[in-house]
Amino acid sequence: MPKSFGGILRRFVNLGLSILLAILVGSLIMLWYKRNPVEIYRLLFMSAFGSQRALFISLQRATPLIFTGMASMLAFRTGVFNVGVEGQFFIGAIMGTFVGYAVKLPMILHLPLALLTGFVAGAIWAYFPTIMRQKLGISEIVTTIMTNYIATYLVSYLVNYPMRESPTTAQTPPVKATATLTQFVEIGKGALGKGSQAHVGIFIALAVVAILYFIFKRTKLGYEWRMVGLSFPFSQFGGINLDRTFIGGMLVSGGIAGLGGAVEILGVWRKYKDLFAIGFGFRGNLAALLGRQDVIGTTVAALFYGSMEAGAMGLDWAAGIPRQLIDILVGLMIFFMAAEGMWDFLGRIKIGAASTERRTTGQES
Amino acid sequence: MTAAIEMRGIRKVFPGVVANDNVDFSVEEGEIHALVGENGAGKTTLMNVLYGLYHPEAGSIHIRGKPIHIRTNSDAIHAGIGMVHQSFKLVPSFTVTENITLGAEPTTSVFVDRKTARDNVVRISEQFGLKVDPDARIRDLPVGVQQRVEILKTLYRNADILILDEPTAVLTPQETRDLFGVIRSLVAGGKTVVFITHKLREVMEISDRVTVMRDGKVVGTKATKDTNPAELARMMVGREVLLRVKKEEASPKDVVLRLDNLKVRDDRLLMSVRGISLEVRAGEIVGVAGVEGNGQRELVEAIVGLRPAAAGSITIGGKDITHQSVRVRRESGLACVPEDRYVRGVALQASLQENLIVDSYYKQPHCGGGLLNLKEIGDFSNDAIEVFDIRTTGKDVPAFTLSGGNLQKVVLARELSSQPALLVVAQPTRGLDIGSIEFMHQRIVDARDKGAAVLLVSAELEEVMSLSDRIVVLYEGKIVGTVEAAKASEEGLGLWMAGITEGHAVPHSRGEKEALDA
Repeated sequence: MPKSFGGILRRFVNLGLSILLAILVGSLIMLWYKRNPVEIYRLLFMSAFGSQRALFISLQRATPLIFTGMASMLAFRTGVFNVGVEGQFFIGAIMGTFVGYAVKLPMILHLPLALLTGFVAGAIWAYFPTIMRQKLGISEIVTTIMTNYIATYLVSYLVNYPMRESPTTAQTPPVKATATLTQFVEIGKGALGKGSQAHVGIFIALAVVAILYFIFKRTKLGYEWRMVGLSFPFSQFGGINLDRTFIGGMLVSGGIAGLGGAVEILGVWRKYKDLFAIGFGFRGNLAALLGRQDVIGTTVAALFYGSMEAGAMGLDWAAGIPRQLIDILVGLMIFFMAAEGMWDFLGRIKIGAASTERRTTGQES
Repeated sequence: MTAAIEMRGIRKVFPGVVANDNVDFSVEEGEIHALVGENGAGKTTLMNVLYGLYHPEAGSIHIRGKPIHIRTNSDAIHAGIGMVHQSFKLVPSFTVTENITLGAEPTTSVFVDRKTARDNVVRISEQFGLKVDPDARIRDLPVGVQQRVEILKTLYRNADILILDEPTAVLTPQETRDLFGVIRSLVAGGKTVVFITHKLREVMEISDRVTVMRDGKVVGTKATKDTNPAELARMMVGREVLLRVKKEEASPKDVVLRLDNLKVRDDRLLMSVRGISLEVRAGEIVGVAGVEGNGQRELVEAIVGLRPAAAGSITIGGKDITHQSVRVRRESGLACVPEDRYVRGVALQASLQENLIVDSYYKQPHCGGGLLNLKEIGDFSNDAIEVFDIRTTGKDVPAFTLSGGNLQKVVLARELSSQPALLVVAQPTRGLDIGSIEFMHQRIVDARDKGAAVLLVSAELEEVMSLSDRIVVLYEGKIVGTVEAAKASEEGLGLWMAGITEGHAVPHSRGEKEALDA
């Protein structure tokens, strides 16, 4: 049995090996298409980290993923699989947009109201699948997937009809300046973040990370979430109210996703364009998986994923490499990491090669 | 005379532990050889090596004087070795015949020859006096009969040497007696039997010789008639143990737990507890004896609040908590050591400390204003580790790194920390070694002496008899008898457990009936 330190060490080794293997397999794919993998990886790295501009683009791409990653992670940790992060993100975005353009208030009230609306909207959207599971016993995996479709088409309808501004494009009116999150390029008169739309929403994202970290480490609520996630029967036996914990975790998860949607609109887009972004929710799910459902791990994974996306955009521009390649690379990494048992297995063969391996699932008396 | 089995210098290492350290073990032809030791002493490992399931790092095996290289399970079977594991490996929906012949069916060209298969099974079962119905389905059979099918399976494959791994763990006293009859007839029929157990009474009753293991080594081998339980126990644990629990006369006070005509349904919604009325007073231990599956599990779950009561009422300290949450019940003075230690008792992935506070994390001194008081919790955990002698490297290690005995100490430490008025204890020592059992028993008696009302549910008759002040026997969801522990006899309790009261059989289901008839 691994002690905690050995476990952490092995996890890092696993992560490194997974990335390495993904890069290797990715290289094979590139070679297949007669591309030079070394050159492509260099371009990828440069477009993600190679300049101040690259770093800010990475930050911009990572910001929404931190929200959706935190939302997924929180649900995972409380023992629920919230595949509905995608839909909650959209609902939060559209409601944040609405408050952004339809309400007239001073900034000090307007911006917080728009953000809060995004949070509440996401939470409400998460409430339906939650209550269906609690009252009717329907798996939240199924219902959250279904509510994603409803969210996508509902928002598409809103943008195309009631909330549409221009007859030529499906988009809402722009949000008022009092509801926007300032972009770095706007602060430093171009000294910071030139060529990117990175904005101060990243600090909101990091605040969410810090708050969740604190909740899990230090509070009664965090203990309940953690224990319910680790073992239902144990928590129930100890007297923890499973229903309340589950519903609470799901609502906060949906809220964070919705907040992320509002932040993305108010920071980057400043109006809602139909299909402005797809897949933030799913990539958040993946970041939580890559980050091993840990607050810090998921944050790092989201930042990593964001910079890979920035790199992919750079690749697309500079070398005409389709950005889907990056999705393949990240997919491979998750695949190899998920095969944790495989590393143990390989390790055991090495140890056991001199003698013999165990033949059955060991039963000790 | 050559030995039937001769194992020399067996060494088997698992990551971090030497399970068998230079073990010599030999069994004479035609004897019943008991292999005893605490949990983790290496008994099962040694037998799994013999049966070809593990490969030893060193050592040799001789069968009837001939050196033999056992590489796989089928090598062992070919050499005439058969093993009955603790958990049976039978297909529930198949018949007895199908299970016994599975994988070695007689065939006519391409079809299974069912008649020959059945005849073979009947012949073997008659030859050794193992009565079974060859056409019954496994799922309809009681555990004792299923075990018999397992034994027949090995005989069908021409085993001369039978290894029985803790065969009595799941049996009632009557079934155990039947099993012993079977073992004697096997030996009379020329077979050799290795019998793994940690119950010394059984060793004395059935075996010709006994080998004691401790910490992966053989402590010694004795002829059973030249030894006694106290000596064997000393060899097992390396010190004197008390086989009876030391306790004073109980002085019961007010009623703490009152069950009034309680009825509870099981998972299949069948009435499993069918009207139990019972009182447990402060300062007494009431033992619930009975064969497992007669409503004990549902009874405990209903008291703790994990399963709704279908009818009747549950009162703790005068307060009706029949429909209250687990939290309210615990606040009313309930604590419980649950039956499924690894499922409900602890969260294996959580740390030791997190496991210790699941009933107290939300209130002073462990929590104030929604914030956990990590200093208080840390001190509390360290105290618990010290007081309950939990063997661990620290309070932050995950629970799965602890052994079963230490995990049970974690559960007990937590549940006793609330100074409960009512302590419900279910199967507290299942799978534990003698040292841990003694520790658990002493703590349970201590809790009683501090004024707790204790309800003890256990499948171990010996445990119920030695701990309880009063014993009730559960049969088919009802209390069929109540007796002062001092006046209880194993014989009498055993009859009640089988549903027989005053010489009349209580009406019972088909499975139970077969257990009696068989």
